[in-house]
Amino acid sequence: MKNGILLAAALIIATVVLIVIGTVKPIPSAEHFAGEQNLLPSSSTPEAAVRNLGDEISLGHWARAYDSLANKTQFSEDEFIHDLTGYYANLRTDATLNSFEVRPLHATENDAEMRLTLHWATVLGPSESTRDLHVTRVGDHWAPEWPLDKRPAVPPQVIPVNYLRWDVIYPGPGDDWGVQGVEAPHVRIVDMRPVQRAEGVVILGELLNDDVVPAYVSVTATLQSKTGKALATEDSFDKISHVLLPKQVTPFLIDFPDATLSSVGSIRMSPFSTLVPASADPVIEIDNAHLNPAPDASLSGELMNESGQIVNVAHVLGTFYDKSGQVVWIGDEYIDRALLPQTPQAFLIHIPEDLARNVSSQRTVVSSFEYGGVL
Amino acid sequence: MLKPELTGESQRPIPMSFILLAAVIVHLPLLLMKLPLKSYDTNFHIFFASHYLHHWFDPWNTKWYAGFSQATYPPLPQQWVAVLSNLFGLDMAYMAVQFAAILLLVIGVYRFSRLWVGPRAASIAALASVFLGSESFLVYSAGQLGTTFAAPIYLNGLPFLFDWVRHGRGRSCLKATVLFAAAAAAHHATLLFGAFFFALPVLALALLDRENGARVSTSAFLARTIAIAVTVGVAIAFVLLPFWIALIHYPVTQTPIPHASRANYILSPQYGLSYFIVPYGALILALPFIFWRGSMVARLRPLLLGFWVAFLIGLGGTTPVGRVLLGRAFEVLTFERFSYWATLLALPFVGLLIAELVARYRTKAIVGLTALAAATCGLAVSWSTYHPADADQGLSVEPVAAWLNRDGHDQYRYVTLGFGNQIARLAVMTDASSVDGEWYSGRMLPELTSNGGGTLTSSKYFGKGGLDALRAILMHADHYGLKWVLVRDPSYDPLLAFAGWRPVDYLEDKTITIWSKDGAPPATPLNAPQIPPHWQGVMWGIFPFGSSILALLVILIPEKRRQKAREEYPVETGGLAPGRLAS
Repeated sequence: MKNGILLAAALIIATVVLIVIGTVKPIPSAEHFAGEQNLLPSSSTPEAAVRNLGDEISLGHWARAYDSLANKTQFSEDEFIHDLTGYYANLRTDATLNSFEVRPLHATENDAEMRLTLHWATVLGPSESTRDLHVTRVGDHWAPEWPLDKRPAVPPQVIPVNYLRWDVIYPGPGDDWGVQGVEAPHVRIVDMRPVQRAEGVVILGELLNDDVVPAYVSVTATLQSKTGKALATEDSFDKISHVLLPKQVTPFLIDFPDATLSSVGSIRMSPFSTLVPASADPVIEIDNAHLNPAPDASLSGELMNESGQIVNVAHVLGTFYDKSGQVVWIGDEYIDRALLPQTPQAFLIHIPEDLARNVSSQRTVVSSFEYGGVL
Repeated sequence: MLKPELTGESQRPIPMSFILLAAVIVHLPLLLMKLPLKSYDTNFHIFFASHYLHHWFDPWNTKWYAGFSQATYPPLPQQWVAVLSNLFGLDMAYMAVQFAAILLLVIGVYRFSRLWVGPRAASIAALASVFLGSESFLVYSAGQLGTTFAAPIYLNGLPFLFDWVRHGRGRSCLKATVLFAAAAAAHHATLLFGAFFFALPVLALALLDRENGARVSTSAFLARTIAIAVTVGVAIAFVLLPFWIALIHYPVTQTPIPHASRANYILSPQYGLSYFIVPYGALILALPFIFWRGSMVARLRPLLLGFWVAFLIGLGGTTPVGRVLLGRAFEVLTFERFSYWATLLALPFVGLLIAELVARYRTKAIVGLTALAAATCGLAVSWSTYHPADADQGLSVEPVAAWLNRDGHDQYRYVTLGFGNQIARLAVMTDASSVDGEWYSGRMLPELTSNGGGTLTSSKYFGKGGLDALRAILMHADHYGLKWVLVRDPSYDPLLAFAGWRPVDYLEDKTITIWSKDGAPPATPLNAPQIPPHWQGVMWGIFPFGSSILALLVILIPEKRRQKAREEYPVETGGLAPGRLAS
């Protein structure tokens, strides 16, 4: 009897203790679902308050995130959500918050400045956004104020449309795209250069549409050993502008992770092209492009959507040349905010520090995507 | 102090025919409605079965992951589905196999419970198994055919294990061995973990009972235990040899994929609802009784300890126990099955509790308990409706399969985006091969194993890992002959557009867009080292299925007439009031 009571008590106490341990200090896989919060999420410090906010955003608990804000009366929950995910469909709309960092900037007894860096996982790769939050003491806890970017207001206006457009007449209904039975547009590689980087071999180059019709293009490269054996084959994937209007040039970059240039005897380049319908719209201007020197070498500038339609996703490809005009590097950035007509949007393309000093000029191209349309 | 079974009107066991009838009444209509098709994994099992239907002796399946070996998953229930599909079709054959498993569970729970409690409590435990939340959850919401098929076979084998160790009857040794081998052929994990949760308590019980009735020496007990452990080990090693070879050569080392059953159910109560409240249901109310009675009665302590460990591990990330005991396997396993095993271990206690409540409160107890049982079963059955595996129930994959099967489209590989768990259904219907799939332990493509994503079709729900895997596979489209991406979720469109894919066709009123990559070469078979040699295919086709046939045959071997004075399965009262413990 006594043994039984002891055993029952021991098992029940052990169960409760184990549950408490698992809740107060969750294991990593449990943390993945619950965020870093424990049973009693504390906002007893400015950093903890911002960290809790990051957890709620990462878990998609918008209402709880909104409720934790000190300045929530200044905007609605919808505005808060749209400020994070965008007012118009864009890369951030379906992104998930992969991780976040909190860094204190300044603190006093009753208020603090914290920097919240959000690392989003989008379908086109990682995207980062940074907000500086003012955090204030409210009674015995701290609450962050969200620095809301107000929805951009586009004034009513008339935008003339006079862009060029190329249509393709197909032989018959049901024919697959790209099987028109006509000669492929003439394209050629006008520059190509392999570069050894720490991550592997990178092939940089430029491709010209030499024809009078638009072309869908891609470039495939095969590294061959000194004996002619194929080592690896990769293609330009999204490091190229795939639709080229007549006489347009696109940069391309092909990655060979873990490859070493010393083991490569030759490189076989295979440009591919096919006829596609295309248009010059939407026209996106690049304004105020500026090469920023090291440290933090980069190309910055602004995109201006000159058309009357919203561009959901824009891709900026920068080609960097040395003094002799040879390609030194190709970088890119996806703009994770929709481009509204006549509304400037900043971009920034990083340039590797070791190559930055060789860069003396650049050329930038922009491709765009609208939901419901084609590239 | 040992007490004999109480006999009396209210202590009579419920007839097995009545319990089986209850199982038929509750589950047959649900299965005829094909409710499990809404679950997470049912289509996965049907997909495996469809492969066995056409390639019984070749476990290499080219329809997923550009080729993978089905010898990485025990085949028995799927093989039975394949066999029965010749009569009923694949869907209904699945339901038939699942139904057989439910009926077998009733018998298995009764036989297992009889080791611990009297016939009335055991019969009530068997009846409770019909309404068990975890069983309905696994059948109708999770679709875990392997687990729900293996557990009843295993439970049916355990009394033979007891009989062999306790009395040394050779027939029982043979029957236990064959049933355990068949259970392993259905689901290896059930046997592996069952050895700890179920078999060890049974062995401990045999040890506790060794002085009762015909005495058995400790050395004989040990010798018999070792003998059957070795015999079963050899049998399982042989029956599943291609599986072990695959596991040894290609251990599961891929980046772990998050699963909600590993969450902390208190910090993430939505998962606590799915993985604790729904599977346990009203059984939660019995937990204090289980701990109390299991501790007070020495004979029940092994069962209590088996339950307790399974219960703690079944709590997933709510406690650190699973992580500590299982190590890296914790990141690979899912934990709803541990809760399932815990509830099976709890059933003998539940039988005792109900027997006592009915004896004391009669009609009131029957009404209350019936309501609780119905609520538990009802919640678990309906969970697939309230919390569907696929929120988008409007997807019909027939037109997609028809498109892939026409005009030579199946010369190339495909991947779907936004199809949820319908990819297995699509794979059954199409001749084309995909680079995606739902059997994570069988995939070998480095783009998938190194990124921590689950199915490509649901990439965005796996965050960075899932999207990195999708991006990596699209980058190597030419290598895999991947030409088609069938998209039902436009949030993936930017990736495809910027990566050079173009929309070429629409299906289902433009809700599905087919994207194509120009210049992709036709798919060629991968010359993977994982392809099992022919002799393994022959073994795979003969021995797992053969083990179940053998099990059916040996069960027909009659038991020797037991001595009249055979021992009852006594329950120590521990000084409590007589009549409260026995049933």
